[in-house]
Amino acid sequence: MSSLIEELAAICGAEYVSDKMVDRLCHTRDAGPTPGGVPAVVVRPRTTAQVSEIVRAANRHATPIFVWGRSTTFIGHGIQTGCILLALDLMSQIVRMDFDNHAVTVETGAIWHAVDIELAKRGWELAVPGSGGMFVCTVGGSVAYNSVPHGLAGYGMTGDNVIALEVVLPNGDVIYTGSAGNRAAGGLAFERYANGPDIAGLFIGSCGVFGVITQVTYRIRRKPDAERFAFYAFDSSDVALDAAQALQRRQVPTHMVGLFGGPKPTGLTGEAFLHIVVRDTPAGADERVSAAHAICAGYNGVRQDEAATERYWVHHMYSWLRNTPPEVYYSDRPYTCPEAAAFMPTQNVKDALRYLKNYEVEHAAEFAQHGIRIKCYDVYFSRNAAFLWIDTLFPELDAAAWQYGLKMRADYSEHLFSQFASPGGILAPLAPHIMPKLGSGFDFLRVLKAQLDPNGILNPGVLLLGKGEAK
Amino acid sequence: MSDGQRAIDKLRDVIYQCNRCAHCFDLSWLGDYNKCPAYRFGVFESYTGRGRFFLARALVDGKTDYTAEIAQRVFACTECRACAEHCFKYISTTDVYAAMKEDLAARDLLPPRLAAGLADAGGLGEYHNVYQGSQEDRLAWLPDRSRVDKKAEVVFFVGCTSAYARQNMALDLYALLEQAGIDFTIMSDEWCCGHPYLAGGQMGKARASIQHTLDAVEKLGAKQLVFNCPGCQRAFRDDWTELTGQAAPFEAVHVIELLAERLKQGEIAMKRFRPKTMITYHDPCVLGRWMGIYDAPRELIKAIPGANLVEMPRNRRDAYCCGAGGMIRYDFEAMANLAGADRIAEAEATGAEMILSACPACVMQLQQSRQRAKSRLKVMDITQLLASQLQPLRAKR
Ligand SMILES: Cc1cc2nc3c(=O)[nH]c(=O)nc-3n(C[C@H](O)[C@H](O)[C@H](O)COP(=O)(O)OP(=O)(O)OC[C@H]3O[C@@H](n4cnc5c(N)ncnc54)[C@H](O)[C@@H]3O)c2cc1C
Ligand code: SF4
Ligand code: SF4
Repeated sequence: MSSLIEELAAICGAEYVSDKMVDRLCHTRDAGPTPGGVPAVVVRPRTTAQVSEIVRAANRHATPIFVWGRSTTFIGHGIQTGCILLALDLMSQIVRMDFDNHAVTVETGAIWHAVDIELAKRGWELAVPGSGGMFVCTVGGSVAYNSVPHGLAGYGMTGDNVIALEVVLPNGDVIYTGSAGNRAAGGLAFERYANGPDIAGLFIGSCGVFGVITQVTYRIRRKPDAERFAFYAFDSSDVALDAAQALQRRQVPTHMVGLFGGPKPTGLTGEAFLHIVVRDTPAGADERVSAAHAICAGYNGVRQDEAATERYWVHHMYSWLRNTPPEVYYSDRPYTCPEAAAFMPTQNVKDALRYLKNYEVEHAAEFAQHGIRIKCYDVYFSRNAAFLWIDTLFPELDAAAWQYGLKMRADYSEHLFSQFASPGGILAPLAPHIMPKLGSGFDFLRVLKAQLDPNGILNPGVLLLGKGEAK
Repeated sequence: MSDGQRAIDKLRDVIYQCNRCAHCFDLSWLGDYNKCPAYRFGVFESYTGRGRFFLARALVDGKTDYTAEIAQRVFACTECRACAEHCFKYISTTDVYAAMKEDLAARDLLPPRLAAGLADAGGLGEYHNVYQGSQEDRLAWLPDRSRVDKKAEVVFFVGCTSAYARQNMALDLYALLEQAGIDFTIMSDEWCCGHPYLAGGQMGKARASIQHTLDAVEKLGAKQLVFNCPGCQRAFRDDWTELTGQAAPFEAVHVIELLAERLKQGEIAMKRFRPKTMITYHDPCVLGRWMGIYDAPRELIKAIPGANLVEMPRNRRDAYCCGAGGMIRYDFEAMANLAGADRIAEAEATGAEMILSACPACVMQLQQSRQRAKSRLKVMDITQLLASQLQPLRAKR
C-alpha cells in the first residue's frame, strides 16, 4: 500500500493524497442508511490526466477505486474497505459556455446549481434544473447516477440532455463521446448522436462501473419567458392518477409531482394531490395551465393555492410540496430515509400504492414498535410514465429500527421490481434486488465489465458487477 | 467534564441527525462560491461540517478515539457558523464542534500554539489578554482616567484587541460614546472576556474569566455593557447563559445597536461624507450568524450621505468569514491568510473603495490581508467612520 500511496502522491502532489484515518473516515458512505467500508487512501485529482494516471496505478496495484462526486445519493454507496477513494470535487471548473451550440462544458465536480446560476446571469439555464440534490450534487455524479430531475415531464431525465462526455476508462485511456469523439475535427461537443453508437449512454446511469466521467457537455436553453402553476386535491389516488395521465396525454406539465402518501399538505383535505408546473411562452403557458384546470376539474379535482407549488419550484425544497417551510419540515429528526424508488407505467402506480398501504396495515405493529414514519409516496411524472419515491423514515439511533427499515426497503424493492417497476439509479444495496432479474441483460453487462475492466478496478460491487472485497 | 466522561456522547442524537447531505460547504445558489473557509484551506472533507460529523459519528459509535489528527481538523475551524446557518437539517453544528473541543482540551490535545496561548503560565491565564500585554498597559491608550471605575450605568468594555493591538479603535469608540452623549465608565481591572477559552474548549476557564467581569460590573453598579467586539459581547450575552443556565445581570450590546436605535429615534444624524464613496460591509460571523445582527450596521452606513453601500456576493447569512475567528491564527496561519485574501478580493471586485466591519478582530485581519494583497481598499471599523460622521441632535438621556 505504501508504494501505491507514493505513486498517487507523485501523480497528484502529496497534499492531495491522504491515508490518514481522519480523512478516510469521512468517505465511508453516502446519505443513505447503509454504511460502507473504510478506504485505504483518499485522493483528490485536479485534472483528467491525473485521473487517468490514478486508474493506471490502481490497475498495477490491483486495488479498486470508488468514485466520489458529492456522495449525496440516499441509497448506500457500497464503498469497499481498502479501496482508493477517488474524490472528484476539486475538478469543478466551467470549461466553456457555448451559446451558439446551446451547450455548456464543465468538469465533473462542478456543483449542478452553481453552473445553472452562472448561466442564469446570461439569461440561460441548464436543460434540467437538476434533482432535489442540485444545490450540492456534482454534474458528473448526477450523470453517472442519472438522477431524476425536476422538470422530468417536459425535459426528460438528467441523461437525456447530455451532449458529450469525457471519460477515463478502467484501463486509464481517455475517450470522448458524440461529436467530441472526432478529434480530427477539433473534438467540438455539440451533438450526442454523431460518430456511430451512443457511447455516452453506456456511462449514464452506470454509476462509475464502466468509466470515470471527467467532463460533461450538457444542453442549455434560454430561460423561458413564463412559468405558471397549478395545485389540485383529489378524493382518491386512483382519480388523481387518471387525471395525471390525462395531463400527460395533453403534454401539459413541464413538471408534475403527485403526493399519494405521507403527511398531507398543511391545512388541506383530500386523499391525493397534484402539483403542476408549466414553463413556456406567456401564451403557451396560459393555454397549458388552462388545460390543466379543465382536466383536473373533469376529475373533480379541487383547486388549491398554487403559491405552494411556486415556492417548491422556485426554492426546490420538497417541504413546500406539503405547504410547510423547510425549517419546520426538516429540523426534528434523528431519522434516516432508506429510499426505494422506481419507474413504472402511470396506471401501475395504483397497484404500487395498494401494495404499500397494505404493507402499512399488515405491519402496523412493527411500524409502531420501531417508530417508522412514512415521509412520502411521491411521484415525479415523466412524459409518459411515473417515478415513485417510497421514503420511509426510521430512527437510525435505534439499531433494531434501522435493521427493520432496511428489511422494509428490501421487501418493497423485491415486490415492485418483480411486478411492473424498475429502479433508476442502482447502487450496491439495490443491485441484488434488480440485477438478477435482468437475465441476459445482466449477462451482457457482465461481459462488458469483464472486457472493459478485467481487474474489477472501478466501483466493484456497484450494479453487482466486478470483484468482491478489496484486498 | 469529569474524568472518563465525554461531552460528545451527550450529543449522540444530534450527531445522528446529520444525513450527510453536504449542504454545509458550498454556496451554490450564488454560483461557484464556497462557504467554509476550512474546506477551502484543507482540501479534504475532514475539514468540512459534514466531515466533522463523520468524525463525531465515528467517535460516538466507538469506531475511533480522539487523536492529534482529529484535533488538527476540529481546531482548523473559524467557528464562522456558515455550516450551521445552511445545514439542511437545521443542526447547530458548532455545538458538536464545541463538545469535541472540550473533550480534546481535557485530553491535552490542543494544537501547540493555542495551548501555549491559553496557558496559565505565560499565556492568557497569566496575562488575562491574548496579546500578553501587561495589565497596567491595558488602558495606556486613554487620554485621561476621569472615566475609569466611576459609577455609571454603562460600561465600555474595551476588549483585548482594542486595548493592545488597535488602540485607535478604542479611542474612536471612546470619542463616539462621548459624542452620542452616553455616560459611561471603563473598568481598570478589565480581563479578557473569556471567548478565547471557549474557542479552546476550556469551559471552566471561560466561566472564571466571565465571572471576573461580572463581579467588577456589579461593583460599579452598571446595567449595560457596550462593546465594539462581537466576540466579547457574545461571551456575556449568550455564552454565559449557555455555560451556567443564568443570564448575565446586565445587558450586553454592540455599540452599533445603540447607535442604530438612536438614529431611528432621530437623536443622531450623520454628516456628509466627501467625496462620495462606495463602501462595502463585511458581516463579522459572530455579529451576524451567531447573534443575528445584520441590519444595524447597514442602517448606519446608509444614513451617511455620500456613502454608497454596495454588497459583496456573499453577504449577511451567506457572508464569508475573513479568517479571524476560532483563534486559528495561532496554529493555522495559512488558513487565516487564505480566507482574508479571498475576502479582500471579493470586496475589491464590488468596486468599493472602502470595506467596513464591526469587529476589531475582523478589521485587523482585513487590514493585514489588504497589506499582503497590496490592495487599494481602505479597511476600517464602522465605529471609526462614525466617529467622524456622527452629529448629535438632542441632549442625551
Ligand atoms: C436534498 C436532496 C435531494 C435529492 N433529490 C433527488 C432527486 O430529486 N432525484 C434524484 O435522482 N436524486 C436526488 N438526490 C440524490 C442525489 O443528490 C443525486 O442523485 C445526485 O445526482 C448525486 O450526485 P453526487 O455528485 O452526489 O454523486 P455521488 O453520490 O457521489 O455518486 C453517485 C454514483 O455515481 C458514481 N460517480 C460519481 N461521480 C462519478 C463520475 N464522475 N464518474 C463516474 N461515476 C461517478 C459514484 O461512484 C456513485 O456510484 C437528492 C439528494 C439530496 C441531498
Ligand atoms: S464553522 Fe465555518 S470554518 Fe468551521 S466547519 Fe463550519 S463553515 Fe467551516
Ligand atoms: S448540512 Fe447538516 S445534515 Fe447536511 S451534511 Fe452538513 S451537517 Fe450534516
